[in-house]
Amino acid sequence: MERVQCSYHSEDEAFKIGKETYRGQQYSQIYFARLHLMRTLLYSLVPHWKPNFPVCTVLGLEEGKECVIVGTLYKHMKLKPCILDEYSKERSVVPLVKSHNFMHPDDHLVLEDESGRVKLSGNPISPSEYVTGNVVALLGKESGAGDFLVLEVLDAGLPPQIEFPLKSREDKYVVIVSGLSVGSSNSNPLQVQLLIDHITGHLGDEKEQTIASQITHVVFAGNSVEIPRRLLNGQNSTSKDLSRMAESIKELDILLSQIAAGLTLDIMPGPSDPSNFSLPQQPLHRCLFPGSSQYNTFRSCTNPHCFELDNVRFLGTSGQNIDDLEKYSDAKDKLEFMERTLRWRHVAPTAPNTLGCYPYTDRDPFFIESCPHVYFVGNQDKYETRVIKGSEGQLVRLICVPKFSETGVAIMLNLRDLECHTLSFGTQLSS
Amino acid sequence: MATVSGNMKGFYRQKKNAITKKSSNKSPINAATLGSVAAQTPAHAGSPDLEDEHKASEVVLRQFDMNMAYGPCIGITRLARWERALRLGLNPPQEIETLLKSGKVQAESLWDGCI
Repeated sequence: MERVQCSYHSEDEAFKIGKETYRGQQYSQIYFARLHLMRTLLYSLVPHWKPNFPVCTVLGLEEGKECVIVGTLYKHMKLKPCILDEYSKERSVVPLVKSHNFMHPDDHLVLEDESGRVKLSGNPISPSEYVTGNVVALLGKESGAGDFLVLEVLDAGLPPQIEFPLKSREDKYVVIVSGLSVGSSNSNPLQVQLLIDHITGHLGDEKEQTIASQITHVVFAGNSVEIPRRLLNGQNSTSKDLSRMAESIKELDILLSQIAAGLTLDIMPGPSDPSNFSLPQQPLHRCLFPGSSQYNTFRSCTNPHCFELDNVRFLGTSGQNIDDLEKYSDAKDKLEFMERTLRWRHVAPTAPNTLGCYPYTDRDPFFIESCPHVYFVGNQDKYETRVIKGSEGQLVRLICVPKFSETGVAIMLNLRDLECHTLSFGTQLSS
Repeated sequence: MATVSGNMKGFYRQKKNAITKKSSNKSPINAATLGSVAAQTPAHAGSPDLEDEHKASEVVLRQFDMNMAYGPCIGITRLARWERALRLGLNPPQEIETLLKSGKVQAESLWDGCI
């Protein structure tokens, strides 16, 4: 039985940091690059949106004059932990920082550009939806109180999308899995082995093997390995500890080499993987995978990861961008956060404010130039998926990939029509 | 209090000359290395005979530093900032590039290293 093949093209160059040099710059540079990039884009959209209103800068606002302003949003959050609180003289009882959400009804938004900043008021722009770092265009006017009363908001909208290839007749599947957490106490090695065996076709009868032969690519979206916490507490490690640290990675390498022998795989770093902390996370080093890196089907990728399979464009992250949005804003589900990042054309708007980020000086690699056909986010609590539509006919399949170590669920995506279903592995012996 | 007569600039120039002459025996008279001194004596750096040239070019460069359209000037060399402005399509004036490449001027903005 032959496995199906597909063409692969990686677009990760923008996320590699190899050529950047750090010269002591601060984050003001990346904010300037982001503002310039997005403002140029928004200025091109404004005449179509509000052709009869003048565009001005924050300093050029006049009371009562309706105009359009473009700038970066800053959200003032009462509950956001601030380092200065530790030094304040009046130490009122500050509630213990709950890590899931810092929102408060008193949060307000401020719009900022190079010339100045202005507080925003008005219903169309809700502080619970936006975060610090978004660039938006606003129609409104300066009120007597000195703030800007917003009448309408313009987001950049979904970027242009290349046409979805229609010619493929056969079913070709991509498996996306995240949160394997090999080496952690929650991870079940039997479950992981079942997944590998199914993908490589070592499981089941001929019918199941036929299904497996249609899988052409596997993506590991972060948190593939988990090194026991107690070994990372900075104390001197004995040689026994060192070998135990390496065990999780060795186990992962063995599992990956089983897959790499049969089909192409991409591995992305996640929050618990041995890669850098700030985004974009750099590819896991080849020396960690002595067995699997021998295969040319093995590819270590950045996080975020952008690639094309048979001209279907994928964009995915290991979850940090959406998890951070969840802490500072509100939405009905994770898919809505994902949709917002696409409409804002920015994968990680909270970077560098609350999400670690490399201090770029002249570009912002998180800006989405071309709309993906599939947008996936790993390490989520549960599987969710939806297709969203753009104003120019763009269609995007959004996928929340759950943590495999907790749910035993991996995602199968059909490249022919972007239909999605789950692969669920259980190891409970029924009594 | 000394009376100020006629040319205000001329008055101060003479005064500051005396100070720089004394303290600058050890270091070469060059605008690029008088970083911290320049922060305190913003209008006067360099030896007397080169001063006019330096002042004029430094003034032009400071205008470039302060221009908001090209973004923040701290943490980035002037040339890198000029090149970034060029790449982003902001049309920075060509004379700035020639000034920076001539090598006789300060490569970083005034506040570099101080913030």
